[in-house]
Amino acid sequence: MYLLDELSEKYKRISIVGMAKNAGKTTALNYLIEEAMDEGITLGITSTGRDGEGTDVVTGTDKPRVFLDTDTIVSVPKQLYEMADAGLEIVKMTDYGSSLGQIMLCRVVDSGYVQVAGPVINAQHVEMCEEMLRLGADLVLIDGAIDRKSIAAPGTSDAIILSTGAVLSRKMSKVVEETAHTVNLYRLPNLEDGRERDLLTEENIEQISLIRDGQLVTLDRSTGLGAGKFLDSKIDDKVTHVFVPGAFTHSIVADINPKKLRNITFVLKDPTKIFIGTMMWNQFRKRGLNIKVLENINVAAITVNPTSPGGYAFDHEELVKAMQEAIPDIPVIDVRM
Amino acid sequence: MSTAVKRLANVKTRRETGLDYVISAMNLLTPFGAKQIKEQKPFFPGQEGALEAELDRVGQMVETAEQNHKEIGILQETFMMTKDNTFSIERSGSSVLSVVEIFELKNLLLLMDKIRSLSTRISLPEEFVPEDITELLDVLDPGGDRLNTFYIYDSFSEKLAQLRREKKNMEREIRKGQKALRSEIREKHGLSLTPKFDITISKSDSATIKMIEEISELAKSDEDYMSVTFTLVPDAEVQAHMKELDEITADIEEEELNVRGRLSKEIHKHSKRLLDNCEKIGRLDIILAKALYAKAHNCTKPEIVKEHVLEFEDGRHLQVEEIIKKKGGEYCPVSISLKDGVTCITGANMGGKTISLKLTGMVAILAQYGYFVPCKSARVGLSNFMQILIGDSQSIERGLSSFGSEMEELKEIIDNSKDRSLLLIDEIASGTNPVEGLALTKSIVDYLKGKTYISLITTHFETVTADKDVVNMQVTGLANVDFEKLNREIRYANRRERINIIQKYMDYRLTRVDDAAEIPKDALNIAKMLGISSSIIDKAKEYIV
Repeated sequence: MYLLDELSEKYKRISIVGMAKNAGKTTALNYLIEEAMDEGITLGITSTGRDGEGTDVVTGTDKPRVFLDTDTIVSVPKQLYEMADAGLEIVKMTDYGSSLGQIMLCRVVDSGYVQVAGPVINAQHVEMCEEMLRLGADLVLIDGAIDRKSIAAPGTSDAIILSTGAVLSRKMSKVVEETAHTVNLYRLPNLEDGRERDLLTEENIEQISLIRDGQLVTLDRSTGLGAGKFLDSKIDDKVTHVFVPGAFTHSIVADINPKKLRNITFVLKDPTKIFIGTMMWNQFRKRGLNIKVLENINVAAITVNPTSPGGYAFDHEELVKAMQEAIPDIPVIDVRM
Repeated sequence: MSTAVKRLANVKTRRETGLDYVISAMNLLTPFGAKQIKEQKPFFPGQEGALEAELDRVGQMVETAEQNHKEIGILQETFMMTKDNTFSIERSGSSVLSVVEIFELKNLLLLMDKIRSLSTRISLPEEFVPEDITELLDVLDPGGDRLNTFYIYDSFSEKLAQLRREKKNMEREIRKGQKALRSEIREKHGLSLTPKFDITISKSDSATIKMIEEISELAKSDEDYMSVTFTLVPDAEVQAHMKELDEITADIEEEELNVRGRLSKEIHKHSKRLLDNCEKIGRLDIILAKALYAKAHNCTKPEIVKEHVLEFEDGRHLQVEEIIKKKGGEYCPVSISLKDGVTCITGANMGGKTISLKLTGMVAILAQYGYFVPCKSARVGLSNFMQILIGDSQSIERGLSSFGSEMEELKEIIDNSKDRSLLLIDEIASGTNPVEGLALTKSIVDYLKGKTYISLITTHFETVTADKDVVNMQVTGLANVDFEKLNREIRYANRRERINIIQKYMDYRLTRVDDAAEIPKDALNIAKMLGISSSIIDKAKEYIV
């Protein structure tokens, strides 16, 4: 199977996002880089912050370094250039700053290990990925600095690869369940083009809003925390959509009359705004909760790491099998085998 | 006593006359120009020749810019790409530069080369053309590609190229050896290792683990609760290769350092020329910015004369003009002619007296710093000292009353004035009782009259101008206005419109009044137009009588 070949046909920029710290995001990146070497695909490698350092700055656990093949385009900050063990030809000095100096675009001349970092500002990131593609990369892989699914926010990439693993729980069934839940959230349907979408996207709305009788009604609340009862009192027969711009928590849904709940559709900016656990989520869905998002997230592949730095591990094959059964239509890859 | 650096004008004067405004509105594009402009010095009496030369440069640049529109555009783009790498240039003598530094310098050299060829093409004067740096560029770009990329390429050192080839071969040998071992293990034991030459076995498969533990070519490298990973142990030959590879890598690093050292020395050899070029680019940047600003704002070259005079025709205060233009209005230019002695500006409220005072300062200070001036024509004799005395919000912030800070500044002016000074004084002593205020103003005028200073004073005290040694310039104001028409227009206007209408009718021009004519009294008129109730106005009129 030619995973990257397939991916590079569909997408130009893929973010690698971890379900948690130490879910094996960098291991996954290294795996994909090796795949690219075998498949003859030229990669662009960047990160949303400093990455590839020997030890993780936050938790102190080992982090594999990034080994890059010749011709790869990589973003390296000025201060880390001298520390690279690969031969790097400096191709461009960008105007993007980082805590480790300006970001430079380099072409790998002699393969070896590199510490990667990219711009922090989203817009600069998008620009830089474009530049990498211009310089000859077939596909740009973006590594996030903090392994948090919340930074999977759409806009910076066309799709994500979700890294998950034993670190999530000692129970394998729990790891699979949580991962499947996240993937299902990411794949929530987009709000269709039409009047409602136009109403909600025309301006950047920062308050909870309703669409009532085809008109936008802005409420005097910005977060959903404790807003359930308040919201319930505002929903009548004519309300069709409820737009929640901030965090979407169970307290918003819990206080809404089930009869009303079935007749409305919640609209969120993107799936990363949902903070509701699997169990609760399934209950709400049974009660008739409808959710759509303005921008959902494409999950291109899932990588699993059966080992946890906490000192336990699952059987590799079993984990892959269970995961693939739970999420049948997305390729699941074991990065350690 | 040490000779202090001669200062023409203090910070406040530079700000209030609008010099700072013009400088910040100029579009400087290089770090060198931005640095130089902060250090720019005015020209003093005796340096008229040098000032003329500077103004000629600006004038020439205006022409060049008009004739070479496209090239100037490219030049500006190139300017924008320059970065200040002078620190690396200075460092090259004592240290080995990093690859990033050499990359940045190579970039700078390419830009210098481009600026050089552009400025030669549009025949700029020699003093602005960066010197040829091809020799150094050839050193940093041995392939002659002239691309702005950099790496310690093989072409820098035959030895380096040789070492890198050896490294590649050695890596291939090692991989070949490992692969041979891997296929041996596959044949002998039926185990297939990953491309990384390891194999992970589940702990439940204890038979296989036991079997592998017997194989001497495989060693346990990692273990967790569920699985064990074994890695291929390199044989003696491969191990020898690995050791060699380490040595070659060390040699490569050393040779790369040698190359960087050599390049740093070469850069150092040319450092004077490089720094000179940065200087030249900075000067070119400034002259171009001055020229383009003059062109865009209709400024002309002032005539610099030996005698201490200040005359201009149709002057416009640039900062005020911009505001008026934004509002869609038209600026009413002002002309004035000053020489040593005291000149007073009198006239209506809202008549632009203060702006005319500031404009006079602007023309004088811009000329003296080598800028074109916003007038139809101007004759300027250089001053040794310039100061403006004007109320500003800063004295209030400092907790001084307006009179207190005025007196502080007056003392500074009187202490620092010297031969050929330009003093601009805005309504002095208007913040105290009119009896003492008038007396003080008169005595200041008496003091300044006899000096070789050009003193320009705005005032409402009419007896000051009665002195036959004082020149009186009067704002035309509303003198020639058809009040009936004005009143009709103002009757239905709201507050802001009223101000605009008054400004529209106001004639800001100055006229010299030789006989001690009465100062026009427009204050009550204007107060009335601005909506003060007629009972107050009428009462005030009674008091005047």
